[in-house]
Order: sequence, then structure tokens, then C-alpha cells
Amino acid sequence: MLKTTRQAVLAGAALIAFGFAADAGAQQTVKIGAVYPLSGNSASTGNYAKMAFEMGADIINNGDPELAKIFPLAKGGGLPGLKGAKIQMVIADNQGTPQAGANQTLRLITEEKVAALICCYQSAITVTASAVAEKYGVPFLNAESVAANLTERGFKWFFRTTPVAADFATAYLSFLKEQKAAGKKVDSIAIVHENTEYGNSVSSVISDAFTKGGLSVSMKVPYGANGPDVQPQVLQLKEKNPDVVIFISYTQDAILYAKTMKELNWKPAILIADDGGFNDPAFTKQMGPVTEGLISRSVFAQGKPGSVAAMMDALYKKKTGGDGLDDVSARVLQGFFVVADAINRAGSVEPAKVQAALKATDLKPDQLIAGYDGVKFDDKGQNILASTLVTQLKSSNYVAVWPKARATDPLVLPYKGW
Amino acid sequence: MTLVQVVIGGLLLGAVYALFSSGLTLIWGMMNVVNFAHGDFVMLGMYTGVVVWTALGGGPWASVPMAAILIATLGVISYFFLVRHIMKGPMLAQILGTFGLALFLRYGALYVFGANFKSLPDNLVGHSFVLGGIRFEGSRVLAAAVGLGVTLALHLILTRTAIGSRMLAVSEDATAAQLMGIRPQRMQALAWAMAGAATGIAGALMALFLPISPTAGESLAIVAFVTVSFGGFGSVTGALVAGLLIGVVESLSAYLIGPIYKEVIVYALFVLVLWFRPQGLMGKT
Amino acid sequence: MNARRIVPLALLVLALIYPVLTMESAVYQRMGALVLLAAIGASAWNIVGGYAGQVSVGHAVFFGIGAYSSVVAFVHVGLPPIVGAPLGVAVSVGLAALIGVPTLRLSGHYFSMATIAVGELVRVMVSTSDFLGGAQGLGGPPMPRTVLDLSFLSAMPYYYIFLVVLGVVLGVTWGIERGRMGFYLRAIKDSERAARSLGVSAGRYKLYAYMLSAGFASVAGSLYLCMFGFIDPESGFGILLSVKMVVMAALGGAGQLFGPLVGALILVPLEELSNSYLGGQGAGITYVVYGAIIVMIARFLPSGLLSLFERKPAPVKPTEPTSAAEGGHAD
Repeated sequence: MLKTTRQAVLAGAALIAFGFAADAGAQQTVKIGAVYPLSGNSASTGNYAKMAFEMGADIINNGDPELAKIFPLAKGGGLPGLKGAKIQMVIADNQGTPQAGANQTLRLITEEKVAALICCYQSAITVTASAVAEKYGVPFLNAESVAANLTERGFKWFFRTTPVAADFATAYLSFLKEQKAAGKKVDSIAIVHENTEYGNSVSSVISDAFTKGGLSVSMKVPYGANGPDVQPQVLQLKEKNPDVVIFISYTQDAILYAKTMKELNWKPAILIADDGGFNDPAFTKQMGPVTEGLISRSVFAQGKPGSVAAMMDALYKKKTGGDGLDDVSARVLQGFFVVADAINRAGSVEPAKVQAALKATDLKPDQLIAGYDGVKFDDKGQNILASTLVTQLKSSNYVAVWPKARATDPLVLPYKGW
Repeated sequence: MTLVQVVIGGLLLGAVYALFSSGLTLIWGMMNVVNFAHGDFVMLGMYTGVVVWTALGGGPWASVPMAAILIATLGVISYFFLVRHIMKGPMLAQILGTFGLALFLRYGALYVFGANFKSLPDNLVGHSFVLGGIRFEGSRVLAAAVGLGVTLALHLILTRTAIGSRMLAVSEDATAAQLMGIRPQRMQALAWAMAGAATGIAGALMALFLPISPTAGESLAIVAFVTVSFGGFGSVTGALVAGLLIGVVESLSAYLIGPIYKEVIVYALFVLVLWFRPQGLMGKT
Repeated sequence: MNARRIVPLALLVLALIYPVLTMESAVYQRMGALVLLAAIGASAWNIVGGYAGQVSVGHAVFFGIGAYSSVVAFVHVGLPPIVGAPLGVAVSVGLAALIGVPTLRLSGHYFSMATIAVGELVRVMVSTSDFLGGAQGLGGPPMPRTVLDLSFLSAMPYYYIFLVVLGVVLGVTWGIERGRMGFYLRAIKDSERAARSLGVSAGRYKLYAYMLSAGFASVAGSLYLCMFGFIDPESGFGILLSVKMVVMAALGGAGQLFGPLVGALILVPLEELSNSYLGGQGAGITYVVYGAIIVMIARFLPSGLLSLFERKPAPVKPTEPTSAAEGGHAD
């Protein structure tokens, strides 16, 4: 009885797989796997990532005439390096757990036979999923996990395009030192961070970098994420009245902090709202004037009209029904095109050739969606040209204000708010 | 002055804790059933608030009654379809059944409403006001006031009305109550309706100041469990006292020691209270 | 053939032919190992939750301690993770004694709630500890150094290891079930008051069951760490993990030797397959289906799937109404 059940399940699985691969005979398809949080606490992010992947595959398979003028992979008709093979994204749900992430990675490798993997958003899940890919020898690209040790494991199949926490810290440090030089007060700095992996790792890297760089963090306030009330923390801040506050928070807390600061009518002169929840459209679009003048970091800034980034942004808005690319979706989309480009250059889906092509990746800034200085991997698989921009929220949109060379808008201080 | 603000904030928070725990404690006391889907009932109440606002443009005056009716209906349906049957099994069947229900509701909400956070405009209730140097947030004051009102109403219904004494009779001894001409199932369904209504009201009011997502109920459920057992199962007034106490302790410890430790302190306090009073603050042995 | 013997025999046959059936599918091999791992955890829980009737909803504490002990053995001492397992067992058993003495006095739901609180307490404390990697968690050996690191490409070595461990857990449980302790535990579960009046030292036997259960749950955690090579506070101490142990045992049949294994045999494949074939669409259909199935089982088989195999439909045990009168009271 159990055996027949199993066969039925396998048959069902085969049917599903067959449904996808029905036209494989006529034309080769290249499968790329992605394991993202489509359920659980980060489901919102995962679903934005999913749309980015679908859009990326659509650009390569069906083309976009305008974009094709400046972006070769947008000519349509699949990957030229593989005789027009179409890209098929196989997206799986990591459910926000390292266990599901590893299990789904295994399935995509052994059953879907993906040529490469893009995974997993949360650093903890990237750890277990990449270990599976490493054992099977399948190229694994991580586009957004910032834990430093991911590239310190001696893995040969692991590539990371995103800047890491230390890069953000350096960006903030240089930014604040510049403000200091310009006469702004940055003597006391408070870091308020949620106490899961994201907040914990980013805050400790920032405070280390600041201490080494000659800025002092006078106050650190860790808190448990997703609580119903943040008034005590804001009152603490109000009392100490630091010059600079850095928030590292998820969406729910981001919204509560903004509301509560307004309620208690207190604001610092420089308010850095590190990415995370402060980049969520639910925050930027729904909170109104409270958000005006927040400083954040992002790898994405629309850039000049007609640039690859701006056109991708417009396409993404069409795809999502209004939400443009943000820090995370831009990193995801960038990761996708790095993989697609490598497979295209490899001219093959053979893992070793794709791995070699990834190692040889050398993308120039004008070909990028994310605002990196390029994409080029070192021996550990880290993109050495990854960098981040400091942005400021102006009428519900983040615009690049630092470094000067890349700024599209002037920096406005102090934080305006309500 | 700041300390007073902290305590007031804690009291307001605590009244909300009491509000969304009162439904849980009612069910718990009436039929010794622990509803693991309770947090998700609250979450659906919150979404009712969102839908009433986005689809109809209605504020809390419309969404609160609507949520009360909807979640009460959900409670009655859950009772007749599920709870009535699992009560015949061992206690574990409750955990099994209501946990399954929790997942079903939570991810049903994800399917219907999407994963993105929603929040209501914060001027629906009117802005905050200052009283004696203390700042009050309008929506939280409203939620706390209604929380006190609902708790009081439930308490009075149970202790001062005929229907309340019938419900208590069923919770004491269903068979004996039946012999006295009370229909236990009808009383229990009524308890689920009342609990659902209170929970729906809580959700609709909390939607005014909390961002809403399908997983919002997860952490709320734990708070509700602690509040209810802290106060003593089945004791509505116990839940109120425990809610206020937890709210103030959380607020004070977050302010004085650090927000990361507030949960540790509340849980430790809870375990300590159970050490000395195994039946909770106001539970009867 | 006697219905009571069909289930164990069928399970044994399945366990032995499963490797042959799944020779070609790495995914199904892994699923087999995961079923066994989940069954170890749930069977451990079953000793105190099923047999002694003390519903712990905080058993992840011991699972997490096992996983962390193993990872600490690697990170801070450089030993193979599995070497940390005995340490985990020792700490878990010790902590169980510490928690058990005050909480096991609590009746019914109060005990459950106290275990939830302790679980959350430990989770928050671990996430603030630098020694334990804080919220970021700790990773085991990225690359296996020797075979002792128990890091394999195939899931089959895990399958066999887990099978042996599960065999030990079930063997010990079976011994208890047949022995004096099992008799006492059943008496305590039926009516603690009656058991006490017969001279059974209820507190002591509940505590023994709790400590034993904690030790085995800790082993499950150590094994998890070896297989996945990473642990963080949420995957070690998350409340969902505790609830799943309860749910698995209850689904199969709590207080029955093979109940947790049957529960794991249903739930783990259900979770994996629904995630594999529905998860990619997003929107959480996986859990809608998963939740609905659990609800249906609870609705129609409140005493668990194994109650299907009992001669008569499971007689309604009148334990609840009495405790309802004791514990619950609306004022």
C-alpha cells in the first residue's frame, strides 16, 4: 500500500515536472533554482524576490526592445550562448527555516536538475543550503546575505554579489565623518537594533567599525522584534538625546518607531534607518511625512533616465503594480543577471563550466541594476566591487545622496520628519 | 515624569493584553480548552479592520462591530465543526486540532491578503493628546478603554446574569447541568461566540496602532497564554490584573534595564508566580 | 493476525525496504532520514507527554541544548560535533530536573504554559549570548574533516544512524511501558490523586520521565546539528519545534509506543511534499493544506491515527471533564 502511494506521488511529481518541461524537446531550457522565503516572517520580501526572478527570466526569454539597445541579454529569444535556450526559474519556498532551505536546495539539484542556484535571503538559511550545493558541486549564488563568515568557509561553488555588513558600516562611517567635517554634530551615536540575526550582526559590525574609525557609539539598545510597543525605547532615546540614531529593524518595528517618535515628538538631527523594514513599501508608502528625510543605505538608486537601472525599475513597477525596485529586489535581480550572464558565457549548463564562467565574471557598472562598482569575484567568491550608496527618503522615494560621485540629489539635514 | 509616561504606556499596553486575552480565558475556564489558534483569531480581527477601512472607508465605529460579528461566527463554526468533537478525545487533541486551525487561518490570510504589511492611517481615532504633561496616543487609549469595558462586561455577564450562571453550571458539571434542563452545547457555543466577539473587537482596535501581517497572531498568542495562566485560567478579572501587571513590568523593564530583557523578566516572573501560586494569581484551586 | 502486531511489523518492514525503494531519489532518502529524526524527538516527548500525561510544550529547549552542545564542541574545542552529544544529554537532564521540580507540580494546562515560558526564556537568553553565537547562530564544520564529523553527501548514513537511535529510544520506552514505572505513569496519568493515595510517588516518577525524555530530545538535537551543520536560536528553541513534537505524537497516538513514529511518517512527508509541489507558488498554500489535514485528523480521530487499529472505537477517556472541574472555573 505504501509503495503504491509512493509511486503515485512520484508519478504526480513526474507529471508536474513534465508539464513544465513539455517543450524541452523542441528547444533546450536552462533551469535556475531559487530558494526564497515565500512563507513565514519574511514572506513579503520573498514574494518581491519572486517577481524579480520572473521579470528577469521574461526579459531574457521574450526581450524588451528598448532595454535591448543598452543591455544585450534583453534581445529576447533566450540565451544566445546556448542557441536561444530559454530560462526557466524554479522557485521554492524556504519557509524561513534552515531545514526547509537545505531540503529544497537538495530537491532543486537532484530532481529539477537546476544549472545553478540563487539563494536564500536569510544568512542562516544560506549557510545550510549552500552546504548542500557545495557537496553536489552546483554553482550557488547568494545575492543578499550579509554575514561575513559565509565566504570564509573555503567553498568552491559559492559566489556572493552583495556587499557585506562591513561594507555598510564603512559607508556609514565615511558618511558621518564627512558630515562631522562639514560641521554637523555627530558626537553621540545610538544604535537601536532588533535582536535576531539581521539586527545583531549589522549592529555589532557597525559599532566595531565606528570605534575603530574614531566615532563613538554611546548607546546600544537591542530589543526583541515584532513587539506591540516601543515607547520605552523611544523615551530612553529622548532622554539621552543623541545626535545620530541608527535603527536596524524589520517592518513592524520600523512603523512603530516612526509613529512613536512622532507621538512623543522627538527626533534626532540625523536619523539613519538601516534598510530592512525602512525599505519596505509598507513603510515608505504608508507612513506619510514622518519618513521625510530618513537616511538609509541601498544598493539601488534609480539613476539617470535611460540607464539600465532606471529601465529595469520601470519594468519592475509594471510587474508589481506600482512598487519600484528597492535595495533587496535590486540585489536579487542583479544576482539573477549575474548567473544568467555566466551561463550564457559558459555556453553550457555543465556545473564546472558555469563555475568557471562565474569566476571570470567582470561586469561594468553601466550594465548593472544594483549600484555596485562592478561584479568581479575574488577567490572566496565575494564580489570585490560590491558597494553601497547612502540614500535619503524624499517624498516616499529613496534617492542617492552619498557618495558625491553617485549622488542624484542633495543631502538635506537635519532630519525633517513631521 | 518620564517614568510616569512609561508606566502609563505599560498600563495602556496591559489593558490591550487583557482585552485580547479575555476571549481565551473564557474558553479556557468554560471548557478547559486551550485554543492555539487564538492569536490568529486576533489577526483576522485586525484584517477586518483593514478591509472595512480600505473597501468601505469605515473607521473603528464600523470595523469593531463587524469584527465582533465575524470572529464570533468563526468561533461558533470552530466550535461546532471542530472543538465539540475534539473535546471528546484526550487533551492533546485540542493542541492538534487548534494548531491545525491556526496554520489554516494564518496561511489562508496570507493567501487572501498577501504577505505585505498593512497599516491604517493613524488619524482614524484622532491624534494624541497631552494630559498633565503625559502624552496619550488616541488609538491606544480607545483600545485600553474598550478593553476595560469588555472585561467588565464579560465579568458581569458571567456573575450577574441568568445566562452567565447557566454557562458556569455547564463548566462545573455538564451532565448535572443537562439534568437541570440546560443544553451544554448551546452554552458552550455561546461561550465561543462571546469569546470570538471579544477577540474580534480586540483585533479591530489593535489594527489602529499595530501594523498587520498574516503572522501577527503568532507572538500575540504567546502573550495571551502567559496572561491567561498568570491570571488564572477562566478568571476574566485575573486576566485583566495579569495583563496590566505584564504591561507595566514590560514597559518598566524595557525602560530601566533594556528592551531585550523585558520578555526574560516577564517569563521569569510568570514561572515564579506559578511556583508560589500554581493556580495563577486569581485562579481557584 | 492480531491488529496490535500489524503496526509494528509493517513499520519494521517499511524501515528495512525503504532504502531499497528510494535508491534513486536523494530527496526521498533524505525524507526518510527526516522522518526518523522527527520520530526520535517526538518519541522522546512521548515519554513524558504521552505516558505520564504531562504535556510539555517546551521540549525544544532540550533539542536546542543538544544541538548547541554539539556545535560548541566543534566551535570552541574543535571536536567532531557528535562528541558534544553526551554533554547535551547531561545538561538537558540536569535542566529538566531543575525545571521539573517546580513545574511538574502544576496541573494540566498550567504545566504546558510554564514549559512554553521556560522555552521562550531560554531562547531569548541564548540569542543574547556571545558564547553561543547570539542570534546569528553557530555553524558546524563547513567541510567534513573526518568521518566522525558525520557530514555526508547521501542521506543514507543518517538514515541508518537515526534508525538505530530511534530503536534505542523505542526500546527504552518499551521497557518502561512493560515495567513498574510504566504502570505508575499510567496511574498518574489517569488520576494523580488516586495514584498518590495508592502510595505512588507521583512527583518522583513524573520527574524521572521528564529527565529521560529531555535526554533523548537532546540527542535528537545533536543529530540535527550533524545533519544540517548549523543552529540558531529560532531553529533550536523555536516554539514551533516544541509544538511539532506534540502534534506528531498526538497525530499518531500519544502514549503509544509507535504513535510518534506514525505521526512523523504522516507529517514530515506531508510537509515536505506539499512544500515541494505547492510552495513555489508562494502565498502559503502549503500550510493551508497542511493545517486543514491536521484539523481533519483531529476532528475525526481525536485519539490519533493508531486508534484506527484498536478493536473498538477508542473509548472516551473521562480524564478531561474531571480536570476541567478542577482546573477551570470562570468567575
